[in-house]
Parts: sequence; C-alpha cells; structure tokens
Amino acid sequence: MIPVVAMRLLAAAGLAAILGWGCASDTPRDTTRLTVGMRFEYPTPNELIGPPTLSYSAISNQFFLPLMAEQPDFRDGPPTWAPGLATDWEFSEDRLQLTVRLRQDARWSDGEPVTAEDVRFSWLAQTDPDIPWSYSLYKESITDVEVVDAGTVRFHFDAAGPTALADVSTGLILPKHAWEPRPFAEWRGDPGWFFEHLVTSGPFLLENRTSGQELVLGRNPDYFEDGLPRLERVVLRTASDGAALTNLLLAGEIDVATGLGATDAQRITNQPGLRLIAYSNRQFTFVSWNTRRPWFQDAKTRRALAMAINRQAMVDTIWHGYAEVGNSPVISSVWAHDAGLEPWPHDPRAARDLLAAAGWTDGDGDGILERDGVPFRFELATFAGAPARWDAMQMIQADLRAIGIDAQPRRVEPGALIQRMRDKDFDAAASAFAIDTSLDLRYAFHSRSIPGGDNYAAYANPELDRLLDSFATRLDPSAGLEDLHRLQRILHDDQPILVLWEPLTLAAFNEELESVEPNALSPLANLQEWAWR
Amino acid sequence: MIRFVLRRLLAAAILLLIVLTLAFAVVALAPGDPMAPTDPRIPPEQAERLRALYGLDQPLPVQYVRWLGAVVLHWDWGQSYRTGQPVAELLFDALPPTLLLAGAALLAQYLLGISLGLLAASRPNSRLDLGVRVASLVVYALPTFWVGLMAVLVVAVGLGLAPAGGMTSAAAFELGPVAAALDVLAHLWLPALVLGLSMAGDIARYTRSSLIEFQATEAGRAARARGLSETRILLVHGLAHAAPRLLQLASVSAPLLLSGAVVAEVVFAWPGLGTATLLAIQSGDIPVVLAATAYGAVLVIAASLAADLLLTRLDPRISVE
Repeated sequence: MIPVVAMRLLAAAGLAAILGWGCASDTPRDTTRLTVGMRFEYPTPNELIGPPTLSYSAISNQFFLPLMAEQPDFRDGPPTWAPGLATDWEFSEDRLQLTVRLRQDARWSDGEPVTAEDVRFSWLAQTDPDIPWSYSLYKESITDVEVVDAGTVRFHFDAAGPTALADVSTGLILPKHAWEPRPFAEWRGDPGWFFEHLVTSGPFLLENRTSGQELVLGRNPDYFEDGLPRLERVVLRTASDGAALTNLLLAGEIDVATGLGATDAQRITNQPGLRLIAYSNRQFTFVSWNTRRPWFQDAKTRRALAMAINRQAMVDTIWHGYAEVGNSPVISSVWAHDAGLEPWPHDPRAARDLLAAAGWTDGDGDGILERDGVPFRFELATFAGAPARWDAMQMIQADLRAIGIDAQPRRVEPGALIQRMRDKDFDAAASAFAIDTSLDLRYAFHSRSIPGGDNYAAYANPELDRLLDSFATRLDPSAGLEDLHRLQRILHDDQPILVLWEPLTLAAFNEELESVEPNALSPLANLQEWAWR
Repeated sequence: MIRFVLRRLLAAAILLLIVLTLAFAVVALAPGDPMAPTDPRIPPEQAERLRALYGLDQPLPVQYVRWLGAVVLHWDWGQSYRTGQPVAELLFDALPPTLLLAGAALLAQYLLGISLGLLAASRPNSRLDLGVRVASLVVYALPTFWVGLMAVLVVAVGLGLAPAGGMTSAAAFELGPVAAALDVLAHLWLPALVLGLSMAGDIARYTRSSLIEFQATEAGRAARARGLSETRILLVHGLAHAAPRLLQLASVSAPLLLSGAVVAEVVFAWPGLGTATLLAIQSGDIPVVLAATAYGAVLVIAASLAADLLLTRLDPRISVE
C-alpha cells in the first residue's frame, strides 16, 4: 500500500513541478534582458550568403556595421547618412573618388582593430561571383577599393553618380582576419562555419544559439559607443507562424514582435502592457495590367478599372485601417511623393461611362462587356501564400463584375508568376515592390525593362523614359523633384499599374521599453539604445 | 524472424526509393523557379549563378541521379535554398523535437484513450458509456489546428497554465539538467495532449469494444466465475485481450501523428520537422521538402515494422513466417 501511495505522491509532485514551471509567475522582470520574437530562423551571420530580407538584416546589423548608415528621414528629403564605422568622408572634385576615414576606436570582439583592409576584403567578397551576393548590383559602379592606410580607404567609381554613398554603404564590413582563411567559393557550402568564427564590431556579440529555437545576443563590451548597448542580453526567439508569435506576445513570453498581422492588432491594443506601433515600410501593392492584352491597351480603360475598384474598402476590411490607399509608386511616406495627386475615386458609374467611351459595350446582353468581339474576361493572378492579396482579388472580382467585367482570380506559385510576369505571359497580376530611397524607378517603368524585366505592364512612354533617365543621373536628387512629380502624373493618368495600398508594418512592444524607434529601414533600429524603464 | 525483418527492410527500401522518385518528380516538374529573385534589385545573373551552384542548370535526369547518389552514398541531402544550411544538419536538429512530441502524443493518446475505454466498458450502455462515446467522436472530428489554437488561447494565454509556445523558455541554455528537463516537460504537455487527442477517441472506442467483447468470451466468464473483481478482469485480462488490436492502431496512427505534428508544431512554435517542412513548402525550398518527405516515409515505415514485430510477441496466433 505504501509504495502505491508514495508513487501517487511522487507523480502528483512531478505534475505540480511541470505545471508550476509552465505557469506565468509574478517574479520581477529581468531588466537586463529583452526577448524578441521573430518569424524565421537566423541561418548565418554572414549577410552575403544570408536571405535578402529586412528582418535578417536587422539582426546582422547588431553584429556588424556599415561604413555609414542611411537615416530614416526620407520623408523630409533625399537620404542622409550618419557615420557607422567611418567618421567622415569626402568626394574628389570629379566625384570619381570617395575617401573614407575609419574610426580609430573600432575593434573586433577579439581585440583586433577594424581597418581599411577589412573594408577592401568586404568589397572583394561582395563582388565575388563565387559567392554570389544578392545585392552585388550596388557595387557595380565601384571599380576599386584602395587601402590608403590602416584608417583610410578610397573608393573609385566608373562614373559620378547620385547613388555613390548608397552604393558604398550597402553591405556590412566583415572581419578579414577571421573569415579570409575560408575561400569565397566555399562560403555558401557551410553557413554554420561563420557562427563558429564570429567576431563582431557591432553593439552585440553571439552568446548562444539553439537551432530552430533562439539566438542569444550579449552586450559587446568592446563596442565603441560609451554606455551602449543599454541591454545586457537580447534573446531572439523563433516562431514561424504569425498567430503563434502573437500568442507568445499576449502570454508575456516575448517582449517584442514585429511584422504582425492586421487582424491581431485589436487583440494587442486591448492587452494591457503592450504598445502597438504602425510605421511605413516603403512598400506598395499593385495590379499590373498587361498592356499587350486587348483589354488593357488604352489608358481610358485602365482609368475606368481604377475607378471601379474600391480600394478604401480593401484598406478598411483587409488591413483594418493599417494601410493607406496608394496612388503612386513614389509612396506617400517619401519626400518626392506628389501630394497633389488625388487617388482615382471609387465611382462605378463614371467607370462604366469611361468604358463605354472606350468602346466597351454589352452587345449580346450576357452581362459581360465586349469590344471588337472580345469579351472583357481575363485572369487576375497573384502569389500563392499571400492571403491579403488573395482577399483583394476577390473584392476586385466583385467590383469589376458590377460593371460587366469578368476577372478570374488565380493563385500561382511565386517563382512561376514572377517568371510569367517578366515574360509578359499574364493578363493582370497583383504584386508588391519595396522602393529604396534612390527613387530610381527605371526597373519598373522604363521601356528598357520590358523584355524579361520588371516592367510587367509592358508600358512604354518616351517622355517617361526621358524623365527616368534624367532623374537617375542627377547628382542632386532634390533638384529633380519636378521631374519626379511629372513622372508620377503620367503614371497616374496612364495607369499601367493600379496602386492598391501602402501597407504599414505593425510591431508590438512591451510598454515598459523606452527609446524604441522601429522604422522602414529596420524593425530593430537603434536596438542598442533600448532599455527597460 | 530475421528473414522476416530482412524481407520487410528490403520492401521498405524499395518503397522509399519509389517515394523519393515520385517526390523528386513532383517538385521538379512543378511550375516555378525556386531561384527567381522576388526583389527587382537582385540581378537575374545572380539567380543564374545560384542555379549553377546548386546544379539546377543540369538536365533533370542528371539532377536526379546526382541527388540520389549523394543521398545514398553520403547521406547528403544538399543545401537549403532558403538558409544555405546543409539539409541533413537542419533536419538532424529538427528530428529529435518531433520524435519527442510524437512520442509524448502517442503516450497521451493511449493513456487517455485506454482510460476512457475502460470507463465506458465498466458501465456498458450507461450514460457514462454514452458520454465517452459521444466525446470520443467529437474529439476525433475536431481539427487539430483548432483544438491547438483554443488550447493556447485558453490554457496558456488565458489561464497561464502552460507556456504559449516553443520547446524551452528563453535563454534555457543556462538551466541545469533537472531544471532544463522540467522546462521542456512544461512546454511539452499541452502540445502532446492536443496532438494525442486526435487519436485518443479512436483508441477509447477500440478499447471499449474489445473489453466488452472480452467479457462475453469464455475467458471473461471464467475470470468472473473465479471470483475476480471487475476491475481486475478489465485491467489485466481485458486489456491483454485488447492489446494486439490497440497495437495495430499504433501503426495506423503513426502517419496521422506525423501529419498532425506539422499542425501542432506550427501552432505551438515547436521547432521540429513539421515547422521545417512547412517553412520549406512556403518558400519553395525543394531540398528540404524532399528530405522531409523521405524522413516522414522512413518514420512511418519504421513505426509500421515495429508494430508488426511487437504484435507477433503479443499475439501468439500471429506468425511472421
């Protein structure tokens, strides 16, 4: 009898211990530690072979620094740059050279100084075809990186251009002494090697990594900025599903989550102790009308489509207000946006009139418009795995059906759809672009980008080509504001693409955190300044 | 017995080859280019280089032979297109959490199912019996993802009785071995219970019917005539009678457990094979999808073989020859 009782007691104690361990406790917060939820696993600290995403870069930027860092002041004017590993820089008179001086107090976490050799090594890696880096395009204008002395480096360009600073500052400075022993050709073969040989110059270093679960960043005691970072430790926990991430946040198991869904916003704002921040992410979602198809060849018809589709309803129902109706690829949070542009109003009656004026009528009375015997019936494709866009496709279908147009939504695997769009083998398709502050839109609208490129609509306009070329070569982008406004007007009137919305990124933070300033450049911007109140 | 095992292993190898070939053919012939850059700032030449690096510029038969050769000869499943990690390494990390979760779920489903079956069989056709039968049907019908979400919202977020996700607490690497084990168990019990629930109803119904059937057999009547208590009759003799059938259920539930684990792992942010597979499918990470399919097939075949072997031990009427 006794052993049975003892076994029961033991089992009860074990159960209590397990449940007790899992229960939320009232122990005081560890104010040296922050726990951040992320939707992906960080595969390697080497950004040249890592995934080309903003979330990934946000973490890499805690280990390594660029020479100079773009500032999030793109609403006020062309981009500005703050010193990173560089203290100052100056262009030669012909702007074909840029001399950059490095900080004297920057050190790798193993005590070695950060030198001009590291800068040259990074450039060699960034441009090596054996790696190959996703953003090597940014380095195409740089012909050489010359080591002047240990603290000075000189960039040589093939031509003077407005994006020289962006080109130089894109990409992080990597540790030559630690990573040079591994040939570039072997970098992609073993991304884990870089965890084992990680020395950092940024505010944090790697304390621990548990595959599939978490990355623990510790304060880098050798970081050159006094008193920073303010947190001793940042734990990055992985939860691949958005709902799981929200639940971890609501349960208090993580303090920060970014990239949340709009449907979760209400739950988060209702939760005491959490603060929701919505900020522009410099993206816009749009529908490309393939102008090689008979339905989309004239601007009048495309304008009618813009007026038939209720974009405000999409923002209200799909995004719960956490987006804005878009009307230009130069989005509203960027300095060059033409604020005088008014989105085409949702006016189905006017849309119907415009279509009639363009020759679209329902001659056979089947409820679908025709022109020259061609019924207005087309496929409206979007990426599989993009639920917001799929919902929008259903709404577009209903809006267009109301004016006699039969749009057939279809989900397509992303790689396949992109290829079809580049080949112009589609009718209409929804997609999204993230713009950078160079505002060089040639890739999306220049007639040169039609064959095999990202001018999906196959839209060609000589005046637009001229404006795009002219702006892209201006040394002072702000002097090209008029060109950019004219360019936006043309796109607005011709409607080769219909900009649906500009989404906001939603991030939730424990309200006891201070100095938190996420922005379009990084959800973990200024992490080194974050602290618990 | 050895001949039987060898025969089954040979059949398993052939089955696995068929599964691998079919999986390769399906993903290779599916439309889309896994290397197509989604960001216009990434030049097409970069995609070309990556295609060459991963051997995707070769004809399909060459790709297949190289891939299969690397798998069979070196257990090399290639590299993940998404993260660049060696796939074997990635799945090696993901497999133990899945085995732990599936094992715990198997235990939960048998403990729960057998307990409920015993309860129902102890009072056949009573309200209790009816309640257990209805409850087991309801539980069987509920989708795992819904039960999981509700469990997280109510038990974890609402009541705070369990962690809301993950396999360990943050920075658990600092814990001692006992605390670390308790930490994992605290994270494990809820997802295991949710996953186990899906099959527990089936087991309860099988247990109930086997036990009621046993009571009507000569052995059952003899046990009662010998004056054994009802509890002993059901627990000892009845369950021995039901064991072979329940074991057969284990081989049936193995694939269901694995597919259920995909859902449970995502809902509970459990870092296993299911999460890795889902991420791979979403991102077109073909090497991981192929390897995860193969791992899943191996697990199901192994579970089936183990159940068959155990069955021969438990039921003397069954011979392997």
